[in-house]
Amino acid sequence: MKKEFTPRITSFLCKWCTYTGADLAGTARLQYPVSIIPIQVMCSSRVDPVFLIKAFLSGSDGVLIGGCHPGDCHYETGNYHARRRFAIVKSVFESLGLESDRLKLSWISASEGPKFARVANEYTEEIMKLGENPTRKSIFL
Amino acid sequence: MTDASLQGAVLPAAKEPGDAVLDFLRLAITKEVADAVILPMKVPSGDSYAWILMNDLSLLDDAVPIAATMAVQGAKALRSLTRRGPGNLTVIAVMRPCEIRAAIELTKLGQVHPDNLILATYDCPGAVQLQKYVDDPTGCEEHFAGMQQSGKPDDSAKPVCQICEDFSLFDSDIHFGYLGLSEKEVLVIPGSSRGSELLEKLGLTPARDLEGWEKGIDQLKADRVKARESAFEETEGQLRGFDGLLSVFANCIGCHNCQSACPICYCRLCYFDSETAEQNPDALITTASKRGGISLPEDRIMFHTGRMAHMSLSCVSCGQCSDACPVSIPVAGVFSFVADRTQRTFEYVAGRNDGDPLPLRQFRKSELPGVHELVKDADAEVPSHE
Amino acid sequence: MSSITIDTSASRKVRELLQFLLESGKIDAALTMRKIPENNSYDLGLITDAANLDEAVPIIPVMTVNAGQVLSSISTSGKKIAAVLKPCELRAFVELVKREQGSFENLLTISHTCGGVFSLDLVVAEKIEELLPKYEKIISKGEVPINTRDTCRACEHFIPMNADITVSVAGECESGKGCVMYLNTDKAEEFTEGFESERGELKFDPSALQKMLDTRLAEKEKLFASMTASGPGLDRLLDTFGKCVGCHGCNSVCPICYCLLCDFESANFDYNLPYFEEHLSRRGALRLPPDTIFFHLGRLTHMSFSCVGCGMCSDVCPVGIPVAAVFKKTGEKTAALFDYVPGRDVEESIPVMVYKEEELSDLG
Ligand code: SF4
Ligand code: SF4
Ligand code: SF4
Ligand code: SF4
Ligand code: SF4
Ligand code: FES
Repeated sequence: MKKEFTPRITSFLCKWCTYTGADLAGTARLQYPVSIIPIQVMCSSRVDPVFLIKAFLSGSDGVLIGGCHPGDCHYETGNYHARRRFAIVKSVFESLGLESDRLKLSWISASEGPKFARVANEYTEEIMKLGENPTRKSIFL
Repeated sequence: MTDASLQGAVLPAAKEPGDAVLDFLRLAITKEVADAVILPMKVPSGDSYAWILMNDLSLLDDAVPIAATMAVQGAKALRSLTRRGPGNLTVIAVMRPCEIRAAIELTKLGQVHPDNLILATYDCPGAVQLQKYVDDPTGCEEHFAGMQQSGKPDDSAKPVCQICEDFSLFDSDIHFGYLGLSEKEVLVIPGSSRGSELLEKLGLTPARDLEGWEKGIDQLKADRVKARESAFEETEGQLRGFDGLLSVFANCIGCHNCQSACPICYCRLCYFDSETAEQNPDALITTASKRGGISLPEDRIMFHTGRMAHMSLSCVSCGQCSDACPVSIPVAGVFSFVADRTQRTFEYVAGRNDGDPLPLRQFRKSELPGVHELVKDADAEVPSHE
Repeated sequence: MSSITIDTSASRKVRELLQFLLESGKIDAALTMRKIPENNSYDLGLITDAANLDEAVPIIPVMTVNAGQVLSSISTSGKKIAAVLKPCELRAFVELVKREQGSFENLLTISHTCGGVFSLDLVVAEKIEELLPKYEKIISKGEVPINTRDTCRACEHFIPMNADITVSVAGECESGKGCVMYLNTDKAEEFTEGFESERGELKFDPSALQKMLDTRLAEKEKLFASMTASGPGLDRLLDTFGKCVGCHGCNSVCPICYCLLCDFESANFDYNLPYFEEHLSRRGALRLPPDTIFFHLGRLTHMSFSCVGCGMCSDVCPVGIPVAAVFKKTGEKTAALFDYVPGRDVEESIPVMVYKEEELSDLG
C-alpha cells in the first residue's frame, strides 16, 4: 500500500504580517493544511538565500516566504530586497533545471487570514502534484 | 611493527579483498555492534569516490571499501562528523593508513573525537592520483587491481605512495591484511583492545599466526624505504638554497588548494589568509620598490614555509596537497621530506596513537642541543642529520 | 581622443609605455604579466623599477591569477599604478570596486581586445611560446583559438568596457602589424603626454571584430546547451558537482568572492552529531563532509550575477568540474533579470544592494 504523501513546506513568515495572518486564519478556524511548517522571522528580508537552499536540500517539498505587501514592510524596504534575493534564487534554480516551483514568495498581511489559508491550500496542492522532493533521499548532496 | 603475540582472524574474500571487508561490516551492522559505517562510494558520474556514512545494508553492496583513489582525505570526513563532539553513534570507518594517521593527529589537535569511532585500515598498495583517475577511471581501476596484486604502487599512484613506509598495520583498531597472501583470504587483525572486543562480539577468533603475512609486508616495505631515501635525496638537492625553494614553487598561483585539501590544516581561516598576514597596500608597494618588482599574489614562499613550520610535525605524507595543485607542483614531495626532518628532530612519528603528545605541546629542559649552536654561530655549516 | 599607432608588437609597445610612465615618474608601479626568471612560465608582477621591465610581457594570453583580484589589494595604496588587464580582469575589478574592495582613483587601466587565455595546463607544460605565433595569427583573423579556456571561447565581452587605454590586438591587426592603442579618457591623454609615438585620431571600430563575436556567441550557445543536455536538474547537478572534493579552490581564485572567511567555511555550517543521525535515519546514508551541493548553490546565489566568466575557477579545479561554465550561464540569466552586466559601469549598483518598487511583479 502506498503511503499517503504529506508534503512538508518550510515556511518563513514575517512576524508583522504573514505570521500574524496565519494566526488569524487559525483563530478564525479556517482550515489550512498541516504541511505548512511555520518559522517566524522578523522580516522577509531576514531570509538569506542560503535558508531557502538549505531547506530545499534538506528535503523540504516546498519552501515558502511570506511577507508584508510591498510598501507595508515594517522596516520599510525589507521586502523589496527580499523579492530581489528570492528572484535570484529562483533564477539560479531555473537555469540549473531544478524545480523552482518548490519555491514560493507570497505577500500576506496581518488581516488576510483567509488569503493565508487559500495560499497554503493552493500551494500544498501544487506541491502534491510535484510529489516528494528528490533531495529527501539523495545521499550525494 | 606488530608484536609477536598478535594473531588474525581469517575471512574469505569472494573476488577481491574488499569483499571480505564488506562481509565484516555487514556482520557488524546486523549484529548491532556498530550503528553505521563510513566507506567510499562511486559518485554518480562514476569518475571518483565520495565518503558515505551509511547504515542501510542494501547500500553496502555499492560501496567500495578499498577504493583506487583518494578524493577527499578520510580524516576530513571524520572531522566533519565529530568536530563538535563524539555523540552516540558507534561508527566503523574503513580508510587508508595515512587517513587514519591523519585522524589520530586531528584527535591530538582536538578536531576529531574518536570516542565512538572504530578506526579500521587495510594494506594499502598506493592510491591512484586523483586527476589521472578522473581522466580515465576504467584504466585506473585496472592499474589499481594490478597494484593490489603486486602490492607495489605503479606510476599511476601518487609519488608519495611509492615512498610510504606505513602502508600497513599501524595504529588502528582493526586492520585488514591481504597483501602478499596467496589465497583469497583476508586477515582481520585487532590493533587495540577496542578492536579485540569488536572481534569477540562478532564471534571472530584471531587464531592465525601473522608471520607469513608480515614477511610479505616487510619485503614490500624494504622497497619503499629504498625509494624513499633516493626520493628524499633528490628533493633535498632541488630545495638546496633559497633559489631551489623558489624554483620548486615558481609556478605557484597562491590558490591554497594544497592547504585546503590537507587533512592536518584544519584552521577555518588560515593564518596566511587572514588580515594579520595580509600586507597593507602601501607596505606592498614599498616592498616592491625595494626590490624593483615583486611577483603577485605576494608572500607565496612565506605561505609554504610558514605552513611547513605550522604543520609538518603532523604531516602524514598522504599526497593530497599534490593532487589538489592545479599547476602540478610536487607539494607533497617537499612536505614529506621536510616532515621527515622535523619529525626526526623530536623523535616524533605523526599518526602514532601512543599517548605521545604533539611535540610543540611539551618540552624537556635539556633537549635539542644543536639548536643553540646554530643560533650562536649562524654562519657555521649546518650539521647534517645523518 | 587620440590614438597611437603601433609599429612593433603590441606587447612591446605597452612595455615601452610602462617604461616611459615609470621613468617619467608618472606612475610608481606597473602591474603586468612577466616571464618567470626561474622557468619558461609566466606570473603577474608589480614592477617599480623600469630596469625590471625587460621581463614584462604585458599582453600574453595567460592568466595565472585574475589580476582584478590582485589589484584590489594594491589599488588603495595612494601610489599611482598602471595596470595591464584583460577585459574580464578589468570587469572583475569594477565589481570589486562596487563592493568597496578597491579604487580607480590612482589607477591607469590599460586593456586590450582579448583572444582568450590558454589553460593553466599548457602554461605549466611551458608550451606558451611555442603556441603563441599560431594564436596571434588566428585572432588577427578574428577567429577563436581552440586551446583557450571554454569560457573564453564563449565570451562576448572581449572588448574592454571601460579601460583608459584600449589596445587592439585582435581583428585586423596582427601583433607587430598595424595594431593601435586607443586613448579613451582624459586620464589616458594626460598620462601619455610626452610618450614618443605616432599619434592619430583613429576611432576604435568594433565591426572588425564582428566575426569573432559571432563565433563566440555560437560557442556560448553550444557550451550552455551542452550543460542542459542530460536529465532532470538534481541528477544533472549531482553529475556535475558530485565529484567535488570541497577544496573551495574555485572560490579562492574567484575575483568576485572576496570574503576573508566564506560563509560556507564558517561555523554556521558545522553540525552536531544529531544532525547526522537525523539524516542517516531518513536517507540511510549521507556524504561526508556534507554540503557539497549546498556550497555551489549558495555561491551561485551569492555572486553569480557578478561572474565575469574569467574561467579561473574551472582551471584550478583538481577534478575538472566546469565550474566557470555553470557560473557564467547561471550568472548571465540572473543578471538579465535586473538588466545587469557585471563590470559594465562602476556607478551601477550590484543587484542585491538596490531595488525598484515596480519590478518582478510575477513574484509574490
Ligand atoms: S602536507 Fe600534504 S602530504 Fe602532508 S598531510 Fe597535508 S596533504 Fe598530506
Ligand atoms: S595548490 Fe599549488 S598553486 Fe595552489 S597554493 Fe598550493 S602549491 Fe601553490
Ligand atoms: S575547485 Fe572543484 S573540487 Fe574544489 S571546491 Fe571547487 S568545484 Fe569542488
Ligand atoms: S565564478 Fe569563476 S568564471 Fe566567474 S568570476 Fe569567479 S572565477 Fe571567474
Ligand atoms: S560564496 Fe558568498 S560568502 Fe563565500 S566567498 Fe563567495 S560571496 Fe563570500
Ligand atoms: S516586516 Fe514584513 S516583510 Fe519586512
